[in-house]
Amino acid sequence: MSGSTQPLLEVSDLATYFHARAGVVKAVDGVSFSLKRGEVMGLVGESGSGKSITGFSIIGLIDQPGRIEHGSIKLEGRELVGLPPAELRAIRGKAISMVFQDPMMTLNPMLTIGAQIGLALEAHENVSGAERRQRSIAALAQVRIPDPETKIDFYPHQFSGGMRQRVAIAIALLHRPRLIICDEPTTALDVSIQAEILAEMKELVAELGTALIWISHDLATVASIADHVCVMRYGRIVEAGPVLDVLTRPQHPYTQGLLDSLPSRAKPGALLARGAGTDAAPPPRLPRQAESGKRSADLPYVVIENVGKRFQRKSGVLRLLGQKLGVAGPLPLVQAVDAVSLSIARGEALGLVGESGSGKSTLGRMVAGIYAPDSGHVLLDGEHVMSGGERPHKITTRIQTIFQDPFASLNPRMRIGDSISEGPLAHGLVSRAEAGAYVAQWLAAVGLDPAFAGRYPHQFSGGQRQRVAIARALAMQPDVVVCDEPVASLDVSIQAQIINLLIRLRQELGLTLLFISHDLSVVRHLCDRVAIMHRGRIVESGPAGEVYDNPRDAYTKRLLAAVPVLPVA
Amino acid sequence: MLGHILGRLGQALAVMLVMSALVFVGVYAIGNPIDVLIGPDVSQDIRLDTIARYGLDQPLYRQYFTFLGRILHGDFGRSFVFGMPVLELILSRLPATLELTLAAVFGAAIIGIPAGIYAGYRPDGLAARAIMTISILGFSVPTFWIGLVLIIAFAVELQWLPAGGRGDTFAVFGVGWSFLTANGLSHLLLPAANLAFFKLALMTRLARAGTREAMLSDTVKFARAAGLSEWTVLRRHVLRLIAIPLVTVFGLEFASTLAFAVVTETIFSWPGIGKLIIDSITSLDRPVMVAYLMLVSFVFIMINFLVDLAYVGLDPRLRRAGSR
Amino acid sequence: MSQMSSAREVSPAARFWAEFRESKVAVAALVVVVLMLGVAIFAPLVAPQNPYDLANLVLMDARRPPGYVGTAGYTHILGTDAQGRDLFSAILYGLRISLQMGLIAGSLAFAVGVTLGIGAAYVGGRWEAFIMRVIDLQLAFPAILLALVLSALLGQGKVQLIAALAAAQYAYFARTAHGAASAERGKDYVEAVLSTPLPAWRVVVKHIFPNCLPPLIVVATVQVASAIALEATLSFLGVGLPVTEPSLGMLISNGFQYMLSGRYWISIYPGIALIVLIVAINLVGDRIRDQVNPRLKR
Repeated sequence: MSGSTQPLLEVSDLATYFHARAGVVKAVDGVSFSLKRGEVMGLVGESGSGKSITGFSIIGLIDQPGRIEHGSIKLEGRELVGLPPAELRAIRGKAISMVFQDPMMTLNPMLTIGAQIGLALEAHENVSGAERRQRSIAALAQVRIPDPETKIDFYPHQFSGGMRQRVAIAIALLHRPRLIICDEPTTALDVSIQAEILAEMKELVAELGTALIWISHDLATVASIADHVCVMRYGRIVEAGPVLDVLTRPQHPYTQGLLDSLPSRAKPGALLARGAGTDAAPPPRLPRQAESGKRSADLPYVVIENVGKRFQRKSGVLRLLGQKLGVAGPLPLVQAVDAVSLSIARGEALGLVGESGSGKSTLGRMVAGIYAPDSGHVLLDGEHVMSGGERPHKITTRIQTIFQDPFASLNPRMRIGDSISEGPLAHGLVSRAEAGAYVAQWLAAVGLDPAFAGRYPHQFSGGQRQRVAIARALAMQPDVVVCDEPVASLDVSIQAQIINLLIRLRQELGLTLLFISHDLSVVRHLCDRVAIMHRGRIVESGPAGEVYDNPRDAYTKRLLAAVPVLPVA
Repeated sequence: MLGHILGRLGQALAVMLVMSALVFVGVYAIGNPIDVLIGPDVSQDIRLDTIARYGLDQPLYRQYFTFLGRILHGDFGRSFVFGMPVLELILSRLPATLELTLAAVFGAAIIGIPAGIYAGYRPDGLAARAIMTISILGFSVPTFWIGLVLIIAFAVELQWLPAGGRGDTFAVFGVGWSFLTANGLSHLLLPAANLAFFKLALMTRLARAGTREAMLSDTVKFARAAGLSEWTVLRRHVLRLIAIPLVTVFGLEFASTLAFAVVTETIFSWPGIGKLIIDSITSLDRPVMVAYLMLVSFVFIMINFLVDLAYVGLDPRLRRAGSR
Repeated sequence: MSQMSSAREVSPAARFWAEFRESKVAVAALVVVVLMLGVAIFAPLVAPQNPYDLANLVLMDARRPPGYVGTAGYTHILGTDAQGRDLFSAILYGLRISLQMGLIAGSLAFAVGVTLGIGAAYVGGRWEAFIMRVIDLQLAFPAILLALVLSALLGQGKVQLIAALAAAQYAYFARTAHGAASAERGKDYVEAVLSTPLPAWRVVVKHIFPNCLPPLIVVATVQVASAIALEATLSFLGVGLPVTEPSLGMLISNGFQYMLSGRYWISIYPGIALIVLIVAINLVGDRIRDQVNPRLKR
């Protein structure tokens, strides 16, 4: 045991650069901090801030073309930078270990859980077969995997995402390391699983006396686990200190801005402080041939009635033949959406909240007329959105969709101007001669330079692409917009800008919104009413304030309780 | 699990039946076998008699069913050219081809897979570049050309190895094998190397591509973060991750090597079925062509079936789906 | 992660080329391919002799080694063949035929395969399952055997051989196109244009097809190279082109009998031309393959 005054980990002036062909990327550029035994430190930043690279630098896993340029990393006084590979390997997994973001990718799908734990055991110890198995079972039990004696022989695909992440944590804790680095370990998981893992992790590190570096983009999860926090930006630490101090009395303008970007800290419906932009007004609405508004305004505008959708797993010709002949049984159907009824009033924003696999995206696609429902129907203004598998074009053009991933939702081989004008041209909303001016107006309305119309998607950042996607959807002059997690893959400051844009355009254009999200705070901020979806069914719906403050359904209560909250000053 | 295997087996049988029909109709369209069977100067009576004897006056579907029925009894007819039962003819030539093919495929796998894994593990190294250059050549240069060069170099110029034939064979279970005698082995070496070259390149490239991807995966990063040695990472993780494409290619390439043996056997006068099929195509020896194609299809389908079974053995995700 | 660094429009094709250019080997290979294509197209202008005009042939010049100055007064830099043809000219003309066969067969296979593959992916359901099952089956059947049987079946001739080569190769395009199109079909941008909605043909032609191109280009390079090799092999085996269409494969085959007597050049030089061509095409393809593999991007 060394003296208690010495810090466990001391990082000083660490710089990790990547020598790419375009030039040098200074991913980590002069980072210093220290960590005491058993301390939990949060490392927070947006994408590209260098927080993950800092973690990989500490554990000595920087791949070509990156390398640690200068600085020092001392573990209990021992310098790690410049250690020969064999000595670094002896430290990895033994003194320092790491857990990665996506549990679906970290475990080897071809090996049993037991085999993978066994390999990690043997990396640092000589153990006999029987002992290896017994210790692997103990490791699984430690991370609360039920029935570990059986589960040890399972393969990763037999586990859920949360269970896989527990296995990864078990492997990381195997040799009781003095430091464990968790790189966004709950980002890929649902909020209820995240809450479980957070609670367990907190207990485990306290029990084992392990120091923890928790890397995350999410201030709230960091607040619920860490003692200290470092805020990173552009490869540097801009602010550091005890969690409560930093999150309630931020000193650096960047940290203040991050906090101001969070919808959970703002008044519902108000523009977020950090995302104010100077966007132009959208072009005036074009007259529509369809006689909208013939019904009275107080009747529901969008009606979802008893809608259901099943998915069948893919099967081949011979399987189908076998089913016909009665040799093979039918594959089980997955009931994605089960008899859902909802209605949205004109001009209203309905939030549809659910965890992954709840069927919320499938429901959204049926409302948008992308999928045909197996049962029930969707009406817009009294007319069928999709009937008998056919899309009546006049109706479907009035509903447009904005998708989650701005990197996938634009055709990479099409100029963005063409992407925006393609639909309006095909449906005769504008003539070819007017198209250029029309596109320019919309680009200005979403806060982009109209001169960008000739560029391709790869020339834009994620937030800018999402603006293009919004312009494309709105250029079709829809009455209803289905937003499928439109801000989920964006950094918080960009997310704030897009939320503000949606609030403003919704007001100016009088849009009706179906806003699908897993993020309860974003939905509360943007929506008038909210519906909670779980396993294909709506478990609860009502005015947003009512559902959030007085949830009635047990699932809703659990969901709301699982959301980590920021400390308030 | 058993249902999965039975389903696959049924599928294989159905495919075999379709292949037999295709082969029969396809070969039926080539030339007029009567002109091969009898000279142009025989009398019309003998001509009609011969047509009737071979059943060539029947409608196509009748001929097909007769053909199917005979095949089920192991009767593939008699070769027009050799005048002996086709099955006997092919079976007498098959061991030579099998020996050549197996030697080539195993040789290619034993050298190619480790070389490819190495090249994928250190993609920027000098050795990796050398391996990839050779593999590009092997992938590009036509088999017949390599055969010519091998003969010129090792048989004509250096005179180290014989240029053709099978050499001495040693009989096991009544079948002669070249690799069991020193002389036979020396005869086997050049043609096997010739046939292996393309496969070697293919397996090297495949193993390299798989290893490169695996090395960048989170699975390998996580294993390294747990302190596993590089050797363990390669042997236990990477090898398992790339096993499925390798087994697939190994199986499929075995079949295609059997077909490519046509070229090698022609160049090296190797007395296998490849040489037989080229001769039968030029002489329009229909029963031999049909039997050869049926045999090759059978081998393909069996190999596909075995590869499917190997998948189930290798990929735990399939194993579970199969047992449901 | 791309920044707004430049004010210019950078098309995906331009970006692709900029990345391609970084490999000197690949650029050199591309230059070789273009050069060979050029001399093949302009063979009648480049070649010192029309090797298939019988009036030009002098028997006295037959089987002369490289550097021999013939009766016509010019140097046969690569020597002459058994009929007294200038080998250099014969190779240029042979290159012309080989490339022609490879490109036409490749384009035909591309058209048929891509239509089937993308069509199957778009239609989905039973048709997709059926088409892809047939294609998988055919893929298990080696191309050389199929081409061998087909060319025996159809007889000798350019058109027949092109048909045989295309039939042996379309399945590779179909498989690749199907895989790529299925992946694109599930992407958000396709769902976005479906929700607009746009007509199906427009979605396929303007959105799905262009985004399937990169992997298809890789397959195309490999398949053109292998069509050329396959044609040479068939011609070598004597079941390919008729003697009136002397491709590189046939030149090699014709020269083979003189190889043992030391007149190596008749067979070796056409062989080298063939190999340089195929290797160059494959090097270009290799580079593009690495470029389009998303799993190698860090």
